[in-house]
Amino acid sequence: MRDEIHERAIQLIDKGQVEGLTAEERNWLEAHLESCAQCQMRAHDTERAVRALRSAVLRFDLTLVLTTQMRARIRARELIEKEARMRALWISCTLSWVLGVVSAPLLWRGFEWIGYRLAMPKAVWITVFALLWMAPAVVVAAVIAWRQVRGSSVTAEQ
Amino acid sequence: MNTVEQEAGKVARGLRRRDPSLIDHLIQQYQYRLFRYLLMVTGSREEAEDLFQETWIRVLEKGHQYNQRWKFETWLFTIARHLAIDFMRRRRPQSLDALLDPAGTTRPVELEDTTSSSAFDKAFQGEEAASVATALGHLPPSHREVLTLRFHEDMELEEIARVVDAPLSTVKSRLYRGLAMLREWLKDIYA
Repeated sequence: MRDEIHERAIQLIDKGQVEGLTAEERNWLEAHLESCAQCQMRAHDTERAVRALRSAVLRFDLTLVLTTQMRARIRARELIEKEARMRALWISCTLSWVLGVVSAPLLWRGFEWIGYRLAMPKAVWITVFALLWMAPAVVVAAVIAWRQVRGSSVTAEQ
Repeated sequence: MNTVEQEAGKVARGLRRRDPSLIDHLIQQYQYRLFRYLLMVTGSREEAEDLFQETWIRVLEKGHQYNQRWKFETWLFTIARHLAIDFMRRRRPQSLDALLDPAGTTRPVELEDTTSSSAFDKAFQGEEAASVATALGHLPPSHREVLTLRFHEDMELEEIARVVDAPLSTVKSRLYRGLAMLREWLKDIYA
């Protein structure tokens, strides 16, 4: 028998396990195997390898599952609490921003009046107004940055 | 919407809520399969145990990213794989090449593999446990990985390619080579 025929049979034996065969390929291979002991042996070895792999049963420690479930529950609680805190923070930020926008004209007039009464240069009371107006956003940004730095250092420690 | 999609949708919604009972159920459901995959990838029981826990914590943290168009196990194994790669990068840089082998080329067995040949000895039980353990101990992690996804998980080749983030041709090449190596090792052992 020609080498190419054996070669094709060998390829199809592996292909049958890895990708599957078409009906035509299967018929050809079955016909070949009936008349070729060498390829039959190869097919047997391949099937045995796959069967052995599939039949190998892993020893599994159930305490690993219990430990993991406990860790996951604790982490889930932490994440839910963190999300609730962050939600509260965002709601405060939004409210603060809305109030800031609404009150800006009044605050501006107030600062203008104080600046006039105290004979302050315009640049001074405008700077103070800007700082005061931005204060909530600066505090929130600082809190978020601090939380992120703390979070990443806790993760690194774990 | 079929049953698989309905199930995936339920899992996605539960993960977004970080539902503890769903996580408990998923850990129970996939315990054995995830651990087997991690053991095959790392070749170490201790590392597989560590990564098993870390994978579920990551599932919890990244749950909102789960796309229900994917099977849950495909996403789960992808997460586990990324963690294993990070873990190996920190622990033993030389074995990373085996898992990340971009060309899908195989190194000679005697030059590759940091896995000790006894790594699987205590991991398996059953009639052919010892033979399989010895043979697997000689295979590179990237080959063991695709073999377990194909023959234990019965995944389609496209799904395997998605999990290992490699072209289909690479997956096929690793499968053919892995199967050939497994066959040869077992043949030698049985002889």
